[in-house]
Amino acid sequence: MTRLPTEVSGLDVVVAAARDASGETLIRELQRTRARVRHFWPPPDPLPSDTDALFCDLVPSLPARLPWLPGEPKAALVVLMPPTETALDLDLLRKAAPEAVLHRPFTAPAILAALVLARSRFAYERRLRGRIERLDMTLRSMHSVERAKAILMGARKMQEEDAYRFIRSQAMERRVSVGAVATAIVDAHELIGLR
Amino acid sequence: MARLQHRGMTSEPWRVGVLFSTTGFMAVIEETQLRGTLLAIDEINAAGGIDEREIMPVLYNPASETSAFGHYAKRLMVTDDITTIFGCYTSSSRKAVLPVVERLNGLLWYPTLYEGFEFSPNVIYTGAAPNQNSVALCRFLIANYGLRFYFIGSDYIYPRESNRIMRGIIRSNGGEVAGERYVGLRAKPADFLPVMRDIQELRPDVIFSTVVGDATVALYQACADAGLDPKVTPIASLTTTEAEIRAMGFDVGEGHITAAPYFQGSGGERDASFVSRYKKRYGEDEPTNMCVEAAYFQVHIFAKALEATNSMDTDILRPMVLGSSLDAPQGRVSIDASHHTSLWTRIGRANRRGQFEVLQQSRSAVLADPFMIGCG
Repeated sequence: MTRLPTEVSGLDVVVAAARDASGETLIRELQRTRARVRHFWPPPDPLPSDTDALFCDLVPSLPARLPWLPGEPKAALVVLMPPTETALDLDLLRKAAPEAVLHRPFTAPAILAALVLARSRFAYERRLRGRIERLDMTLRSMHSVERAKAILMGARKMQEEDAYRFIRSQAMERRVSVGAVATAIVDAHELIGLR
Repeated sequence: MARLQHRGMTSEPWRVGVLFSTTGFMAVIEETQLRGTLLAIDEINAAGGIDEREIMPVLYNPASETSAFGHYAKRLMVTDDITTIFGCYTSSSRKAVLPVVERLNGLLWYPTLYEGFEFSPNVIYTGAAPNQNSVALCRFLIANYGLRFYFIGSDYIYPRESNRIMRGIIRSNGGEVAGERYVGLRAKPADFLPVMRDIQELRPDVIFSTVVGDATVALYQACADAGLDPKVTPIASLTTTEAEIRAMGFDVGEGHITAAPYFQGSGGERDASFVSRYKKRYGEDEPTNMCVEAAYFQVHIFAKALEATNSMDTDILRPMVLGSSLDAPQGRVSIDASHHTSLWTRIGRANRRGQFEVLQQSRSAVLADPFMIGCG
């Protein structure tokens, strides 16, 4: 048997699909990953968001039923594709913005692959968003750091590099960000009224 | 997916989303942005539309609720099949729409000054960045009124970020911040009483306000009631426009200072004709303002790009928008690769007729520097 990556073992999973033979296969295979599976049919509006992965049929109202704003997903979404003989609505798929798709008939390897891929993409995008957030914060704090450096260079006759090293060592000692120390220096300087 | 249409193949309208509050505490200014948007759409349609197709606005009223902006943006893009949205005044509402347009690759046209430090491939910023209003305003105030500033703002992202930037500009120009206070977005006149006591005690040279919406009226009224003389201690603002002055009463607003790319009457003949069209549609008493003007000219920039591409697909439209120019009511403006707009810098003082007299202006449009790379 395929060894299951630990990050997809024992997840909380929601399945919104008809409970026919293929639906039963999906639920059974997910349970084999020790997932706690909750089943809904028809898909509720909104779909539940307190879950790790959401397997949902590509119903026309799917994008509107998702319990989050596009770009801020709360769970990994796997779209269950309609049977191949029905017309495929690619625009609907694009709007649902899933992390993975799963084609019928569902097979054990395909279900596992979709689950692993969806969770890995979901986690990766979350890390990227976190990185952008931190970058934004750093960009904002850079002005404070520049000013704090100038203050230290003037008041303590430090060289630019030493001034930065001082701010960084204070930040490490106090377990706060470099930006926070810089802002404190600028504020304190203003309070004392030195120029 | 490219939805390329061959020219003349369809008479279906071009549908665009419009998100401005017509109720709630931000309606005082957002409703004017809605009017600027609709005026421009009407003008384009009256002239035959784009490729003989009308522009059709799909409107929702988020009623000054930040989360409603995100939900309506989702509805516009997911249910209404729309890719281009004109809207948002507050930074909080822009940040609520941002993930939606970024994930589904839409284009948000944002006609409001803001605190900078943002660059989204899915937003076109047509209001002023701090280097286009704050820097000149700060220097003007120090030269004419004095070095001691008092900050009063509404409690949300823009005022706090804007004050952080303003503090830096003030310091590098030799000034100082004597006090800083924030009031709720729904602040009432009584909420400004402790602020007035603080101001009377600290005696700053300038009150720098980032109060927005209905609370603006309460602040200026409180200053008038406290007997502050705007000739000596003016309120200086980046957000108080002709719309807020009209809401508070011309006598209350008189003598106070605002920095903006546009004031009614500041842009010569092209502006005069814009103002008269606006008044014809909305009433003789309705003034234009910087937010009306940005909301208005951004639709015309969009229309020019659409004329060239004949496609609403963001990836096709965007390159046509970047680098484009327009003779706007404020003067010639252009959109650069940073998705921001080169705008004029003007400093105005409100007079008894609720209009701003321009005291100082840039010689041409000023390039946006959203990350404040060139300013201290």
